[in-house]
This record gives sequence, structure tokens and C-alpha cells, in this order.
Amino acid sequence: MSDADQVSPEGGWTRDVIVALPPYSQDDRHKNEFLLPIIKEQLEIARCNNQQIDNYFSKQGIGIDAIQKLEDVPYIPVQMFKVFDLRTCSEQEIVKILQSSGTTGGTPSRIPLDKATTLNQIKALKSILSDYLGERRKIFLVIDHEGINSPKMAFSARTAGVRGLSIYAKKIFYLLKEEDGKLSLNMPVIREVIENYSHEDVYAFGFTYIIWTVFYEQLKAEGIQFSFKDFTLFHGGGWKKMQELAVSKEAFSDTIAEVFCTQPGNILDFYGMAEQTGIIFVDCEHGNKHVPTFSQVIIRDPFTLEPCDTGKTGFIEVMSILADSYYDQAVLTEDLGVLVGVDDCPCGRKGRYFRFVSRVEKAEPRGCGDTFRESGR
Amino acid sequence: MITCHLVEGKFETRLCQGFDEITQSVNTGREALAVIPLDAIIKILDALGKRVLKNPEINTLPGVSYISLWLRRENLDRICRVNYSDKRYLDGFCQSETNILMMAQPRGIVCHWIAANMPTLGFFSIVQAILSKNGSMVKMPGEYVTLILSILRELPEISVDYEGTTYSGKSLLDAIAIVTFEGKSTRVSEKFSLAADCRIIFGGSEAVRAISRLPCRDHCETIIFGPKYSFTVFGREYIESDGFKRSLDQLAKDVAVFNQMACSSPHVVFVEKSRYSVEVIASWLRDSFERLPGALRNQEISSGLSAKIINARARYLLSDGKNCVAPGDLGWTILIDQEICLEEPIQGKCIFTKEITSVDEVIPLVNHKIQAVSIGILDPAKREAFARQVAYRGADRIVIPGTIHDFILPWDGIMTLNRLVRWVILRNN
Repeated sequence: MSDADQVSPEGGWTRDVIVALPPYSQDDRHKNEFLLPIIKEQLEIARCNNQQIDNYFSKQGIGIDAIQKLEDVPYIPVQMFKVFDLRTCSEQEIVKILQSSGTTGGTPSRIPLDKATTLNQIKALKSILSDYLGERRKIFLVIDHEGINSPKMAFSARTAGVRGLSIYAKKIFYLLKEEDGKLSLNMPVIREVIENYSHEDVYAFGFTYIIWTVFYEQLKAEGIQFSFKDFTLFHGGGWKKMQELAVSKEAFSDTIAEVFCTQPGNILDFYGMAEQTGIIFVDCEHGNKHVPTFSQVIIRDPFTLEPCDTGKTGFIEVMSILADSYYDQAVLTEDLGVLVGVDDCPCGRKGRYFRFVSRVEKAEPRGCGDTFRESGR
Repeated sequence: MITCHLVEGKFETRLCQGFDEITQSVNTGREALAVIPLDAIIKILDALGKRVLKNPEINTLPGVSYISLWLRRENLDRICRVNYSDKRYLDGFCQSETNILMMAQPRGIVCHWIAANMPTLGFFSIVQAILSKNGSMVKMPGEYVTLILSILRELPEISVDYEGTTYSGKSLLDAIAIVTFEGKSTRVSEKFSLAADCRIIFGGSEAVRAISRLPCRDHCETIIFGPKYSFTVFGREYIESDGFKRSLDQLAKDVAVFNQMACSSPHVVFVEKSRYSVEVIASWLRDSFERLPGALRNQEISSGLSAKIINARARYLLSDGKNCVAPGDLGWTILIDQEICLEEPIQGKCIFTKEITSVDEVIPLVNHKIQAVSIGILDPAKREAFARQVAYRGADRIVIPGTIHDFILPWDGIMTLNRLVRWVILRNN
């Protein structure tokens, strides 16, 4: 589509209109035009409803009117969800607070959700998944244990994945079980799936590290393989440990594709976080993660914090228009990524596409400069 | 596996299984060193300082110009006098009291564990071993080996005349071995430790504890330059004096040198309530940071440290009653709040700035982890009273802004050269 072809929809670019669009249908250069006004409006409301966010803007002398492009929207580091209440609506409107322990444990992030935000997130996730899975509901295999989805469990990246992806499920099977804190194959369920659902369209989700070290290892030992009519695996997380095991993304895809008698192109790594529930950045068949219409990704230089050009590694900043209830308009993650290109991925999806590089290494004080605290007292 | 970068005066990289050969070579080298008069050694080092400054390949490297200054004969003379009271003790038995002659004997082989925060640290440690006529086996962080070797390469080119004899810098070099090995390898670390007559350990808490626990010989002396913390205090009269802005330039430099990774790097500045608000002072400090030379302002940092700084800035910007002054990049950060406490170091030029009613409020914060307190207090009586109090509570060095990293002995409260020798007596008949 050329510039001249870019036509505002009737009634303008409202959030509902944008979320309803095919998720990878818009050129990146138009995003400023249709996302920025919505985000600016959300920022005004955020400032009015949250003293901390107002502090953040006023101390930096940021006027919302002066924000000209998405790159200028003040980002809040993802860790701040662990320290501050970043709610941007009234307390009465909150229906749920997500508490995400993340993958590294410690203090959980608190993400307050109202009804509208939850609905937007579901719509957005459905839109993304439909691009990869089609419109029909399918059998959903969770490569984890059932307890991971229990309301009693802390909300983690694994929980978020199961809950988020289950919106396309017509039936859910948990292929692992947990006993004494150890994961192992849930053989009765695996047998049931192989016997009764091999002719079905199936999709699956699992945590990359668990798929490799528990699921794949034990399947190999048992000599089990699956074969479905159609199969897609979404997996994410644990790449630091996978790097330690020297397992590349390609090696993972090739090996796991064999287990499911499918093509490596159906093994899809995705990137997402509880602080931006509703948006996942899924690999296309060319190994690139695509940014949907209602979101934007900016890679920022780790020293200058300026947006990076393609090919340069930096912090991944994720932007979204989905939330009314908390500050998810611009969140700076502690992940490193690289922008691969814009609008021209051979898969045909429009918008920016990037790759995840690694989690940021935790910085311990270096040298002989140290804490002021005396030991042994 | 051990990689040896310098031994027997040869700059060759070779792999070794153990330290036996290296120890033997250093022992041979130190025998020759022991008979060189201390004044001749100082003369060689003084010449080395002048040579490195003239060498265009190294004179622009960080810290090299300071090395040159530090190696001046007057400075080394002063260091030796402070440590030994009389330099002659190093060269032979001298009268101390009636009937007792005394001599300072080198301990033997000094094994140095050099921290990775300061490129030239290893060199200063080696020179102290030379000034006490000890041999050195230095475990150096890999990234600094090239720099140290390029300085030491000048030694064989130096010869000095002293009292009719010519002495070569080569004799100093022969008593030094530079090695690198994986510190996590307990077996190699143990062997290294057991080779020592004296151990000098630089490093953070974890490293110091691990190395201290290594087995060593019964007579082995261990000198620890462990984890420490430093900060700055300005009194009201000083803040209101003409020189204050210049002192903020010095403070910015203190913060920037070594990118706050040294034990002498200040992490907090306390400013006594004055006619200038803390915000005004922060704006002056901002200007000082922006005046830093590019190489100091824009030092490379890890992405982990970037994240730490970004988080600290956001915490201060989001909080009530706190503020943050910082540029768009991560060149430097001023974090302002009113809580009277020391703060965990962030590093990467993040300075906590706090207003206090009286400089005395800072005194209870000082403990034995405090190395340097740089002070700007005008009134001499107030200054000395403050210094006495913080010294009593644990501070080792009370200095002025701009000099916090000056490597003046004693350091960390330790007279290093004195600890590097054994004091031997000879009773007169």
C-alpha cells in the first residue's frame, strides 16, 4: 500500500478499529499516525489518575502535547511494576490484579486489569493467534502440568502462556505431571491424545527449557512420537538456560519438529511478558518476530537510549494501546533484541520485525567498590 | 591451565601446568634485586616514569600519566620514608636503638591477585613489591595484561648509575612474573597461593573471601585490599565559598575515574543546608559532569549496568520526594533525596545527593567498610573534629575532592611496604 492508499477508516482510527484489523496488515510508517493520538490520550488519563506517573512526567518536564512520535513517549522500565502501583484508572474499576513472578522469581510484578483492558487483551491475542492458526478452535496440548494453571499458583510466564493460548482451545490436555516438585510425562494423557486425536488439528504450548530438558528427553527415552493432521507449537522462555546447554533455536525447532512429525516452520518461538498480556511476538517461518498493528517495538541503544538502526542490539521497548488500567503504553524491558527489518519480511507480514537476543545479565558491583554494610554485624 | 605472559624477563606467552618453574625463576630474579640499593631502585623507577610518558604507544592509555607522576623520585622517597622511617633499613643493618641493629628483609615471593576494576592497579602493586625488594607473581585480569606488559617492556631499556655502579631495569623485571588463570579453578588457585611468602589480594567481598580461604604457608603474610565504600561531604561555609563550583568539577572527576568501580569512588554526596538548595547544587554538578572529557563521560558499561541505572532513575522519578537529574543517555546520573543514609553503589557515575542539616549527621553512618571520605569543610576546627570522628568510626582516608583516588600510602589504613618486609634484628656484641 502506498502513502496515497492509506485511508483513515470511517469514524477514524479508534482502538476498536485497530484491534479489529488483521494484525500485520499495516505499514510501519503509518503507526505513528494511528497509534500516537490514542497513546497520548491514554497518557493524559494516566497522569490524572496516578501521582507517580504524574511525577515521572513533570520531573522530566515532559508535556504530552509536545510528543511528536512514538519514540518520544516516556517508557517505564518493566521492573517498576514490582515497586510501584502503575494503575491508571480508579481502584473501583479494577477487576483483577495479575501478579507475575516472572522467570527469575523474587518480588512479583503487579498488573491491575479492568474489564475493558482484559477484553482488549483477549481480542488482541485472538487476532495474533488467528494469523498463525486460522479461525477454528483446535485441540490444545500444554507441555506442562495442570497445576500451572491453578488459581493458587503464582502467575508466571508459564501460566500466562497457558491461559493466553487456551482461548483457541476446544479441549486442553496437560502432557506433563508434577510429583514432589519433579516434572515427568503424563503417560495416560499422552496415550489418550495419540489414540484419539491424531486426525485432529492441534496446537501446543510449552516453556522452551521444559520442552527440551523434560518433555523431549523423556519422550526420546520412551521412543514416543506424535503425528497430527496439522500441528503448531508455540514455545517461549528459558533461552538463557538453552544457551548454557548450547542448543540453538534452529536445533530446537528441527529436533522438536521430528517429535511431532511436522516441519520446523511449525515450531514457533514467541516473546511476551505478563506486563503486556494480550500481545505476543511470534516467529514467522523466517525466524522473525512480528509486531502487530496495535503495538510497536523500539530497540534502544544500551548507552544512548536512542532508537537503534536495524542490525544493532539494544533494549527491547514494547508499546501498546490495549490497556486503560495500567501504564503499558511504553515499557522498557530488560531483554536485548535486534531490529531485523521493517515491512519487508519475506513472510509478507507488515510492520517491524525483530529477533530476541538475550536477557540482560544481572550487574553485580565490580571491582573493590562495594556495599557500605559491614559483614558479620 | 596457567598462561604465563612474563617470566625470566621474557615477554612470551606460554602455557604452564604449575608454578614451580615460575617460582624458581622469580626466586633467582629476586636474589639479584635484593642487592640493589633502594636508592638505585628508586632511580630506575623514576626513569621508567619518564620513559612511559614519552612512549606514544602507551602515554595516552588511561592511568599512564598518573603512573608517571607517581613514580617520581620524590614521591617514592616519601613513600619509603613513611613506611620504613629510614630507607637504609632496606640495604643493610642499621642502628635503631642502643645495642640493636635492624634490617628490613623482603618476605620473598609476593603473589598478587589483581581486581578487574582499575587497569593500572597491578602495576602499583608490583612497584610496591619492588620497593620492598620482593619477587612478584601477579595474577592479572586478562584484559589488562597488554597494558601492564607494555609499561614493563620499558624496564630493560633503563640503566642508572648509582655510587659508581650501573644498575639495569632488567634486574627488576627478572623478579616479576605475570600470569593469568581461571580464578574458579580451585586447584590452580591453591597452587598459586602456596607459592606465596606474602599474598596481596585486591577485590570485592566474594573474591577476597574465596582467596583468603585458600591454603597458604604458615609464614605467609596476607594483605587484603578488600571491598570498601567512599563518599563526599560538603559543609555550609564551603558550599557558600567561591571555590565550591570548582570542587564540584573535582567531585565529578572523582565519580568518573574508574567509572565508580574503585573502593575510593564516591557514591553519595552530602551537602549541608546552605543558601543554595540541593536542586541548585545538583544543577551545578550536572554542568560539572557535562564538562568532563569525552573519554570519562562516555565510558562503556555493560547492558546489566545500563538496566540498573535506568531502574534507579525511574524509581527516583516516580517517587514522591525524590528527584533525578540526568542526561538522555547514561553518561551520568544524580539521584536526589532527603534520607540520611549511605546507598548501595550502582556504579556507572550514579551519585546520590542528599541535603543534611549538619555534617555531624553523617558521622554515625561511618563504619569499617568506609575507605575514603572526601570533605569540603572550611573551618579548620570543624574539619578536624569531623575527621577525628569519622576516622575513629572506621574511615581510612579523609581527603579533599579531586584527590580521592590519589594512591598515597597508607592505603586502606595499611602501610603496605612495611607489611611486605620482615623486621630483623642484630644484637651488638
